Amino acid sequence: MKKRGFHFYFRIYCKIMAQDIKSKMSYRADFIISTIGMIFTNIAGFISFWILFRNFPSIDGWTYYEMLFLYGFSLISLTPVQCLFDNNWSLRQNVYSGDFIKYCFRPINTFFYYQSEIFDIKGLGQLAFGIGTLIYAWCNIGLGFSALMLLKLLVFLITASLIMIALQNTAAATCFWIQNSFYVLDLANRFRDYAKYPITIFSPVFRFFFTFVFPIAFIAYYPSLVLLRPDDVPVLSWISPLFGIAFFWLSYKIWMHGASQYSGTGS
Amino acid sequence: MKLKKYLTLTRAGIIEALQFRLSFLVMVVGNLLYLIVVYFLWKAIYASAGTDVVNGMTFSDTLIYLVLATALFNFMEMYIVWEIGRNVQSGKIVLDLLKPIEYRKYLFWAYSGTFVTQFFLTFLPTFIAVAVVTNGAIPMGINLLYFVISVIMAVSINYSIDFIVGTICLYTESIWGINIMKQVIVLLLSGATIPIAFFPDTLKTIVSYLPFQSIYNAPLSILLDGEPKPQTVFTTLGIQLAWCIGMMLLSKLFWKTSLRQITVNGG
Amino acid sequence: MSAIIEIRNITKEFKVLNRREGLKGSLKDLFSRDYKTVRAVDNISMTIEQGEIVGYLGPNGAGKSTTIKMMTGVLEPTSGEILVGGNVPYQNRTRNAQEIGVVFGQRSQLWWALPLVESFKILKDIYQIPDADYEDMLSLYRSLVDIEPLLHKPVRQMSLGQRTLSDILAAFLHNPKIVFLDEPTIGLDVSMKSKIRTLIHALNQKKNTTVILTTHDMGDVDALCHRIVIIDKGKMLYDNDIEHLKSFFGSYRTLRLRIDGDLKAQAEIIGKEIPECSVSADEEWISVLVDEEKAKVIDVLAKLQKTHRIKDMQLMEISTEEVIKKIYEEGVK
Repeated sequence: MKKRGFHFYFRIYCKIMAQDIKSKMSYRADFIISTIGMIFTNIAGFISFWILFRNFPSIDGWTYYEMLFLYGFSLISLTPVQCLFDNNWSLRQNVYSGDFIKYCFRPINTFFYYQSEIFDIKGLGQLAFGIGTLIYAWCNIGLGFSALMLLKLLVFLITASLIMIALQNTAAATCFWIQNSFYVLDLANRFRDYAKYPITIFSPVFRFFFTFVFPIAFIAYYPSLVLLRPDDVPVLSWISPLFGIAFFWLSYKIWMHGASQYSGTGS
Repeated sequence: MKLKKYLTLTRAGIIEALQFRLSFLVMVVGNLLYLIVVYFLWKAIYASAGTDVVNGMTFSDTLIYLVLATALFNFMEMYIVWEIGRNVQSGKIVLDLLKPIEYRKYLFWAYSGTFVTQFFLTFLPTFIAVAVVTNGAIPMGINLLYFVISVIMAVSINYSIDFIVGTICLYTESIWGINIMKQVIVLLLSGATIPIAFFPDTLKTIVSYLPFQSIYNAPLSILLDGEPKPQTVFTTLGIQLAWCIGMMLLSKLFWKTSLRQITVNGG
Repeated sequence: MSAIIEIRNITKEFKVLNRREGLKGSLKDLFSRDYKTVRAVDNISMTIEQGEIVGYLGPNGAGKSTTIKMMTGVLEPTSGEILVGGNVPYQNRTRNAQEIGVVFGQRSQLWWALPLVESFKILKDIYQIPDADYEDMLSLYRSLVDIEPLLHKPVRQMSLGQRTLSDILAAFLHNPKIVFLDEPTIGLDVSMKSKIRTLIHALNQKKNTTVILTTHDMGDVDALCHRIVIIDKGKMLYDNDIEHLKSFFGSYRTLRLRIDGDLKAQAEIIGKEIPECSVSADEEWISVLVDEEKAKVIDVLAKLQKTHRIKDMQLMEISTEEVIKKIYEEGVK
């Protein structure tokens, strides 16, 4: 048996993804409606944002454009979890109905096999929206541009994505232990929306909580500081990539542990 | 006994909900966390504004309004669109249509058990928590009675809207897309994400002609009004009642014609 | 011949929740919970040779699925040892998975939206099947069943029979040493059942694949298995070939009668008239199982002729169906 390395998994992923997209395209109406739904969500998010800043010119020393930057940043970092890990939403039904067992019989990693099944193309619309917002904010703040900044941006976007994925994996994996875990996923999802506000608004206790326990502060706030407040970057921002990797790894372990405990309901 | 048949469904719903002990814990803790986030966020926003009253609302008013809007949302969200959509796709709807209860009523009563549990486990604790946190900023008088009446009508309007959107699932397979559009529109235009008092004037006028503001804005503004003038209260309740009846008729009619369409086409 | 599966004294226990009844009970459950341990599989041992087709039988909830989940590496036994092709399945699930194929009658493992051939191509990559072997397998399939119309059809548009057929083909695609089939013919019509049995038999012969078959349909057992293993309540009741099992019941004959009227009702009346025999009915016949050590067939027939108008009759050896039924009800003597 040949070793199953990165190349092996990558090839299989591309193949399944290509097929999945092809079959999704055959449901044209669903695709169009979902895309419109996605655009709606983003526009509505934008409108609430705009209404808020019509009434309040700044929040805790953060200007409209800086907040917009955080907003765009969090939208972009949301893309991977939306596109690549969307099957987490169905995990509960799969486990509950016993269908999950089918993912345990293949000679490949269960987590990979499960997540590879769905590629959610709608997430790309969100990505475009996020990039647009970020560029608009970037120009209005007058951050300037350099290759180093782009590199920083990329590294910290990946960090933020990893944290998002970690949160969702963990939330989804709770269904291996809790029967009605929809609430957990829904909750994690709602909190993601609050990731775009600066962590400094909280009292120290909750600052700690949202940094180390329920790490939403890493989704947009800490990474963005590197670009927005380059003179005053806390250590936490610099080491946030490590946190991203650690949290992702942890969530993967939790997910796999749940899957290995899973015994399937009925026959 | 006609009512008994419905109450049996309620009872079954409560028993089913109680099976999931951990998810309760998650829900209660989740709501508390959410309360904390909203509290700090708006405290920071008001601190940055420099004034105590913005658009006629104090910090306490806004906090009560938003937290209770979310509590109401949790309480009213019945995932009816998903339920109808899945039943249509799996064909289970045929079985439900054979039951000796009108489908619209059947679904409502099957979910009413969740109402009861949600009321005691999320709404009531949240209400008490926010009353304590804001130090008695919720006026406790005759407005509570009006609030209850208003919420009952809000539940009805919300259910009718859900049922109308669910009916659309008879025509399309795109449940996710349809549902997200509904959710986004309802949450934004009902004032659940940002109080309608903060909206710009044109938007305020548009929203006042739509049914959505009767779901969240109406009960919450009644609740926050410590010395209600009979005229304002009855106008609000009157508009709600009109929407309540109108939407109910509309949802019944739409369901009836859609069903005929489907059976004729053998869908 | 060599042993491909070796199971020694495996036991699997689960903790299950005792739920209380009613609204009050549910409220109590919210605060205090009462667990009990259930032994789903209790000290089972067996050895299976390469190329065998073994019928793994037992009533619902007997522990069949649990055993299979342990053999496939999804579950870890509470105690005891399992070796599948030399591997300990739960310790090395992926390596074990390479050597086995699994089919569940009710749930498809193929990609729902994809045409069958695309599923095959993905499986080819996942199992790292060399091109030549893949082509060989496809041409073998072509010689056995008419797969052309299936290949380009998305799985979700297939009938249950076509889907099961596709699932079986997919399970054999990487030429595994063992294939587990869990109720492969459930819900299928008679002609599809026989098609699938023929296919399984042919693949077993051509590739010398070991097949473990769980089923409630004795037609599957008669058509495919020499050896059967029966478990009930987690305990092994029987492990040997079918003929041997039938010899336990050598003194039994089945008397089949055709009578006017509702057969089910008639069978009940007859059952009361001859309490020493067990009586059952299907759409055509009333079957009377006679133990000749207790009563002679001739005497039973004579007795029944006085009270019923018998239009037709057959005398047969005991069927597998009846043997299994007797074992479920009474155990092995």
